[in-house]
Amino acid sequence: MSVPWVEKYRPTRIQDVAGNDEAKKAFVAWLNKWLAGKPGKKAALLYGPPGTGKTSLVHAAAKQYDLELLEANASDVRNSKALERRIWRALTERSLFGKRAKMILLDEVDGINPREDVGGLAMILKFIENTRYPLVLTANDPWDPKLRSLRDKCLLIRFKSLGIRVITSVLAGICKKEGILCDYQVLRAIAEKCKGDLRAAINDLQAIAFGRRKITLEDLDMLGYRAKQADMFEIVRTVLAAKNPEHARSVLSLPSLDYEMLMQWLSENIPYQYSPSLRAIADAYDALSLADIFLQRAKRTNEWSLLSYALNLMTVGVASARDKPKFHFVKYSFPQKIRLLSQTKKYREARKRIATVIARKCHISTRTAIRDVLPFLFLIYKVNAKLGMKILKSLEISPKTFETAIGRIN
Amino acid sequence: MSESLWIEKYRPKTLDEMINQEEVVARLKDFVKEKSLPHLLFAGPPGTGKTTAALCLARELYGEYWRDNILELNASDERGIDVIRRRIKDYARTMPVGEVPFKLIILDEADNMTSDAQQALRRTMELYSRSTRFCLIANYVSKIIEPIQSRCAIFRFQPIPKEAVLERLKFIAENENVKITEDGLDAIWEESQGDLRKAINILQAASALNEVVTEDAVYKVLGKITPSEVREMVDLALQGNFLKAREKLRVLLYSYGLSGLDVLKSIYREIMSPRVLSQLPSHMQAQLIELIGETNFRIVEGGDDEIQLCALLAKIALKAKGG
Repeated sequence: MSVPWVEKYRPTRIQDVAGNDEAKKAFVAWLNKWLAGKPGKKAALLYGPPGTGKTSLVHAAAKQYDLELLEANASDVRNSKALERRIWRALTERSLFGKRAKMILLDEVDGINPREDVGGLAMILKFIENTRYPLVLTANDPWDPKLRSLRDKCLLIRFKSLGIRVITSVLAGICKKEGILCDYQVLRAIAEKCKGDLRAAINDLQAIAFGRRKITLEDLDMLGYRAKQADMFEIVRTVLAAKNPEHARSVLSLPSLDYEMLMQWLSENIPYQYSPSLRAIADAYDALSLADIFLQRAKRTNEWSLLSYALNLMTVGVASARDKPKFHFVKYSFPQKIRLLSQTKKYREARKRIATVIARKCHISTRTAIRDVLPFLFLIYKVNAKLGMKILKSLEISPKTFETAIGRIN
Repeated sequence: MSESLWIEKYRPKTLDEMINQEEVVARLKDFVKEKSLPHLLFAGPPGTGKTTAALCLARELYGEYWRDNILELNASDERGIDVIRRRIKDYARTMPVGEVPFKLIILDEADNMTSDAQQALRRTMELYSRSTRFCLIANYVSKIIEPIQSRCAIFRFQPIPKEAVLERLKFIAENENVKITEDGLDAIWEESQGDLRKAINILQAASALNEVVTEDAVYKVLGKITPSEVREMVDLALQGNFLKAREKLRVLLYSYGLSGLDVLKSIYREIMSPRVLSQLPSHMQAQLIELIGETNFRIVEGGDDEIQLCALLAKIALKAKGG
């Protein structure tokens, strides 16, 4: 793969760093004071989840203010005397390249282990005391007790997880520049999956877009998290085509088996692999249904020794189905349940909203409202919209929400 | 008067307006007179007036301040016992308004709580018993743990008899200028039995569809409100077509947003209907009922409704094909 897009599209101006406006403002104010010769705190600690723009902001600021940037990973510094000396020199000496000033970035200070290395933190504290230039530290979790002394010496600047809209718009910008056709839904799906981590989102986009000019939602299902999916195909095949119990349970020794995902994949693909034998399908599903029960019991009671029954039921149990047809190659599919749940989310949410209103007004539960009242209301609205509107008005339900809720079914 | 849902519009406002349930009403009126109340447990099938009785009781007990003195909770909608306890605690902290020395906490669908949650609830009831009274509402007394039962005065609500249901329906029809025929009334009764909420909903929808509410009109409404996917799914499973049946199941779960238990109940109703039952060889009838019952148990115990219902459909398909 060519240049990583996270590097290629790293912002060069502070205003281009996505989101976290307050953090940016605080950082710029701190930097300005430094450059005016009157630093408040001599170091700034930028903290927050990965991929929220901490390092990007430092890079962009260095470019914009024309500062020489020296960066190092905090835990490397303590392992290398040479690096330590280099940073010490940089902190205390004038800039070599005739630029007007320097900035020093120490990444991941929470990666230092104080028990193994008491000196590491002391060293950073010494840096802060003696620095003649802005010193920036980053961390994911600054509330670790071991960092207390460090926190007192730093200006704390918090970075929050980025919103889906922010991430989506950055992704859209990249697609435009790369000349990739990609609809909003796809970008949104990538953004949602990345839980506020822009770096992960950009990496995923690049992986999915590789060798393509156009990305659709289907590509996302097939290619999204390609590595994991390829593994899942293999795991499902191992279970469903197992010739003996050992073979089936061999998947349990995989280090990162996502057994809840495996259940979904098995549920999706049992009928494809075991058709036309209804007995095999019924047996396999029976084992899967019992696995679900044990898994749920384990979760409910926190009795994780029960997990073993669930895991063996979903592997050995499923594979022990009677009358399995001779193995033939079938193309497995991604669990439709997951796709359907995301596709129908908006309808279900609208329904839930309406049901909540009805539940409150009619003194019933939302479930009863969905089951016993909504169908009548939908019907009335459909055959007599005017009357339906009046009833909606009396319930203070917006017709728009109602239309959304009704949409999927009719 | 603007249009609204008739189930709300025609909900009785006073104990005297309540239909049937004379014994319950008489005792509740005594409580009102004394301005004293034990903890209450209202049990009975849906649509028989349990919640209405609780609301009427509150109105008569507290008069104009009734809204300030009740907390309505629905166990199915609150997220766990901790949330319920917190809300009760916050509410019980303030003094009742007016001359009645306690506030009323109405906890609907209490039988949807696990027995552990009910144990916790029992402690909460004791903790705040000086300033509050509880009115628990449930379909089945037996699903409420003994220690709570023993702390409550239990009121059993009977299904409302046919004459009373029809009388109420006629009253509403007259008030709304809706014409309804005798066979229309019978059809509504057939479908709703003693569930007045359901009966009134059917009446309102049928009258929105037709000038005159006839038997035809009622069945047309019922045909339209039950998703056709239920029948199609059951038929497909009985034909041994599991994959197609699963597609229908997914429409019910994800497009309609029905709960797994509600889907199971409609499968049960469909299989027990004369249309399906008459086609089944007699040895299969009991087997299918057992399968459905077992699935009910598994849905309650398990976590994934789709997997549980797929297992059921696969077994129905297998049985239907003689396996």
